[in-house]
Amino acid sequence: MNTLETSLEQRLVAATPKVAPDEIAPEATTLRGGVWTQYRRGWLSGISLLGLLALWWGLSHSGIVPPLFLPAPEAVLAKLVTVSTQGFMDATLWQHLAASLQRIVLALLAAVLLGIPLGVLMGVSPVARGLLDPLIEAYRPVPPLAYLPLIVIWFGIGELSKVLLIFLAVLAPVIIATSHGVAQVSRNRLRAAQTLGASRSQLLWLVILPEALPEILTGIRIGLGTGWSTLVAAELVAATRGLGFMVQSAAQFLVTDVVILGIVVIAVIAFVLELGLRLLQRRLAPWHGQLD
Amino acid sequence: MSSLSANQVTVRYPGQTRPALAGVSLDIGPDDLTVALGPSGCGKTTLLNLFAGFVKPDSGTISFAGQPVTGPGAERAVVFQHDALLPWLNVRDNVAFGLRLQGVAKAERLARADEVLRLVDLPEAGGRYSWQLSGGQRQRVGIARALASHSQVLLMDEPFGALDAFTREQMQELLLKVWQQARRRIFLITHDIEEALFLATELVLMSPGPGRIVQTLRPGFSQRYRAGESARAIKSDPAFIALREQLLATLFDHRRKPEEELA
Repeated sequence: MNTLETSLEQRLVAATPKVAPDEIAPEATTLRGGVWTQYRRGWLSGISLLGLLALWWGLSHSGIVPPLFLPAPEAVLAKLVTVSTQGFMDATLWQHLAASLQRIVLALLAAVLLGIPLGVLMGVSPVARGLLDPLIEAYRPVPPLAYLPLIVIWFGIGELSKVLLIFLAVLAPVIIATSHGVAQVSRNRLRAAQTLGASRSQLLWLVILPEALPEILTGIRIGLGTGWSTLVAAELVAATRGLGFMVQSAAQFLVTDVVILGIVVIAVIAFVLELGLRLLQRRLAPWHGQLD
Repeated sequence: MSSLSANQVTVRYPGQTRPALAGVSLDIGPDDLTVALGPSGCGKTTLLNLFAGFVKPDSGTISFAGQPVTGPGAERAVVFQHDALLPWLNVRDNVAFGLRLQGVAKAERLARADEVLRLVDLPEAGGRYSWQLSGGQRQRVGIARALASHSQVLLMDEPFGALDAFTREQMQELLLKVWQQARRRIFLITHDIEEALFLATELVLMSPGPGRIVQTLRPGFSQRYRAGESARAIKSDPAFIALREQLLATLFDHRRKPEEELA
């Protein structure tokens, strides 16, 4: 079960080069390492992050690198306050953030609403799998930014194009993970439910979907990671609001502290999304990885 | 006519030269604890899957209480060797799952679950999850689930095959107690000769190539257990050992024969 899941994640991650494989297989560490190992890893992560911060502080204060290229940490922190309250490029940080989050939430909802039913269909029906698999495999390996120009030609530079782009980036992992999870449902559990009198719809809602849930959540998590990086890149191209737009326009005016601030906020959001979904997965599927 | 019957049943799997089952007939009466014993490939799993409705015969018929069996049904519950409990439900909800499928009200089905959990000696485990239980406890929950839904037959697919010898013996004793109290007919398959002899009211000896019944006997040791004798005393009784060796010899005999026929 675990090796299968890992291989699925590797398969999905193969198409998402922006996410390091190490960040994607947390179950492996929690299963193999004990509490002590996790605890120690936490400390080590803290030390390396503090080290990076110290290096940054040292470099910016030494006078070797001018503030235009590397503003001091406290300057960026101060910028956080001004951008939050007074804004940058006609919008506060929160408005930029809200614009980006709104796009990803809309895209995620659409991808889940379409991806889970399609994935279930592919998981239970070889015909559906045969028909849909080539379509998904054809577009999935293409980086979303490669087809962004086409989407812009077809749908313009408005919200629809951006949401559609993110939607496509999230959709493939959700479909693949769902169909994989559904196809992996234990035959004994299905048969047991049948001999207890389950109808076809009861099998779907009470056995297949709950059992596939951990895999579905894994697909959503990976899709969100890809979607978030795609979104920010898409906002560099065409937007009037959003974190990517904020970073891009700050770069044009050489406002390096806003550039760094934007990058940090983008990283923090990505981390929060990842962590939130992992917690959700642990909450909703505590049995995951513990089956015999 | 309330028996579960196989009548001249033959099953062929695609790509195999010999049928998995050839011309098998078997009746399981209301008070029977029928055990099919045989090495792998003898068709015992196929026979159980036929009774459960998972597999359809190529010829012959399967019927229950006079009605032909066409698919899985709630009157024929199956206890699997492993992997059959739902890990997202706690033990009570697992046991009550069959009643939930049938639309029984929550309070009623949970009360029934608690009652059956007491019967399998797991009165305290209701709030726990299958992945927090030992192998023996999991099998008890599986048995409880099959009993709770008012099934009329328990089909048991090597239920104790994955357990250690000590737990297995406890489970065999528990099964006899449950069988007696719940008054449910049981069809159990196993490759453990002692288990078959100890449990069976009717023992069906099966042999591979093609899968068939080679001998049927009524060992009577489970009646002695129910009369109060201990499991160890029965299993070390010279009569028990003699019958065990005799069955073993018969199985080896039949195992050699098909090869000789081929030569």
